[in-house]
Amino acid sequence: MAIEIAFNILIGLGVLFYLAQAIQLPATDNPADVLGAGGFPIVIGIIALIGLAMITIHTIKEKRKVDIPMLNLRSIDGRMVFINVLVLAAYVGLLDVVGFVLATFAYLVAAPLSMGYRKPVVLAVFSSITTAVMTVVFGIVFYVPLPRGVEFFRDLSYLIY
Amino acid sequence: MDIIIQSLAAVYNPMTLLLVSIGVLFGMVCGALPGLSTSMAIILLLPFTYSMDPVMAIVLMVSCYVGGSSGGSISSILLKTPGTPEAVATTFDGYPMAQKGKAGEALGLAVTSSSFGTIFSAIVMLVASPMLAQAALSFQSAEYFGLGLIGLSCITSIGAKNQVKAVVSVMIGLMVGTIGIDSINGVERFAFEQPSLLNGINYISVMIGAFAVAEVYKNIEEYRHVDTSLRTEQKVKIKLLKFSEMAKMWSSFIRGSVIGTIIGIIPAAGGSIASLIAYGSEAQDENANPKFGEGNPRGIIAPECSHNAAVGGSMVPTLTLGIPGSPVAAVIMAAFLIIGITPGPMLLREQPIMLNAIFLALITAALLLFVGGRFVTSQFGHILKLPYPLLGSLIVTLGVVGAYSLKNSFYDVLIMFTFGLVGYFFDKFKYSNAAVILGLILGEIIENSLRKQIIIGDGSGMGFFTRPVSVLVLTVAALTFLWPMMSKKLKKGKA
Repeated sequence: MAIEIAFNILIGLGVLFYLAQAIQLPATDNPADVLGAGGFPIVIGIIALIGLAMITIHTIKEKRKVDIPMLNLRSIDGRMVFINVLVLAAYVGLLDVVGFVLATFAYLVAAPLSMGYRKPVVLAVFSSITTAVMTVVFGIVFYVPLPRGVEFFRDLSYLIY
Repeated sequence: MDIIIQSLAAVYNPMTLLLVSIGVLFGMVCGALPGLSTSMAIILLLPFTYSMDPVMAIVLMVSCYVGGSSGGSISSILLKTPGTPEAVATTFDGYPMAQKGKAGEALGLAVTSSSFGTIFSAIVMLVASPMLAQAALSFQSAEYFGLGLIGLSCITSIGAKNQVKAVVSVMIGLMVGTIGIDSINGVERFAFEQPSLLNGINYISVMIGAFAVAEVYKNIEEYRHVDTSLRTEQKVKIKLLKFSEMAKMWSSFIRGSVIGTIIGIIPAAGGSIASLIAYGSEAQDENANPKFGEGNPRGIIAPECSHNAAVGGSMVPTLTLGIPGSPVAAVIMAAFLIIGITPGPMLLREQPIMLNAIFLALITAALLLFVGGRFVTSQFGHILKLPYPLLGSLIVTLGVVGAYSLKNSFYDVLIMFTFGLVGYFFDKFKYSNAAVILGLILGEIIENSLRKQIIIGDGSGMGFFTRPVSVLVLTVAALTFLWPMMSKKLKKGKA
């Protein structure tokens, strides 16, 4: 229950911040534009706050326990999800540094490992083939401008796609 | 008669039939792959059409449009990653069906419905193009606002378990939709001087994050405890509907197709809005078994019929008025201009064979969806046999490419990652990710139409109630919102 209330409060704070920003939006020069740039955001923000208050009261009354494995690092499942989030964050961070090919290959090796997959040969074949197929299909056949990375990695990427 | 024979000869010759097949297959592959849109598929085909006969060129592109519109449902059903924006609503019931081991049935429903919707709209297009195009022009801001509200009425069904959480979710979607430059007066809103946020947040990256990435996180927790042998042993094979099965659900086919055709005709509305509205109208049935959102076949039929019917529908204003009925139709219209044909009222008089050829191409492409569907699905089916750690990683990688390729921007990948976490927690606390997407998709049309109508009315909102079409659309919107409550009261009264 406490986690859900904390989550609702977090959303509520976000909505309050949104409302504070909406109120500060400049008035319009057009007198016919009664709502202006801030009118609609203020209305939806207030509805969201009322809804959140109702949900929080209901949560307190209900006292329902919610299991969030990602926040329970003592459990194996929780650790797996948490590590996977970190691996994905690293992948996203690396994309613009080392480029698509290397970052994707590294992710396709690291993510299954973080999920407990332990067949190194299969993993190596899967990661290599998937990276190659995706690079060829998206980068070469369909001209999707995949991330190239910086400096040396950028130059290297031009040799591939 | 002479024109009909010439049109038949223009389409039913080996070369054109080959082009229709290529168009459908290419469209389906691009539609099924997140990161490649139908518009992109048509743009990629464009250079090949320069030296073609104009009829052949247009037939190729229209076939690609049909294939692309249908292909999005394949990844929606199998991977919970909509390949195209139109396929968002298919995810709501398609993926739960696949999880129950009915992937083949769900794919069969999707292909049959897409085919039905395309044929339905093609017939409407041929019979009533000029008249419908004129009627569509009566749609102005007030009516668009009503249309947006009808789309939002979906929350009464997709958030059936907790309506208040669904409302808050949709409000959060609407809030995210207000980020960027206000299109009415150019004010920068909630962008915090970040250039990437000025154009707003693309709902595709949000969708990939909240649906696909969040689902991967959820499955990582569960896959070790779930017996996946059944899923890995079975071969995913499309199970096509029999006529008797179609007849049992005829109302869903017709309703979805009518909604899709009408919304397709309305300029700039498009298949994604059509499929959401069709899903919302279908999901009003509270007694449905299984419930909507838990793998109800009608939750696939309605949106699939609808967005493919929007293909033919969107061609009506494109051909007869020169106003594109959807973003993809805008690309096709540009192709018309490149090959030297100006769409508009004169096209019907000067190029009658062209209109008939497009009609025939739509029908042929719709029938070829069954062949293309079998092929693309069988390829995607192999992916499902992968152990979950490999499948989950592949889904995330496809999602990353899908998000990045939207604007070749790293920000979209960050948004995908962020909404992956948001989606995970929303799922745990029973908020509705689908409602967030709904708000994000419909936010722009609702806010802009509301404000435009008030500006047209010189600060007054009376225009919403003095325009007959607007009153009709708003009444339908109000009824769709209130129907679940009304039906409950009626049942209590009867009891």
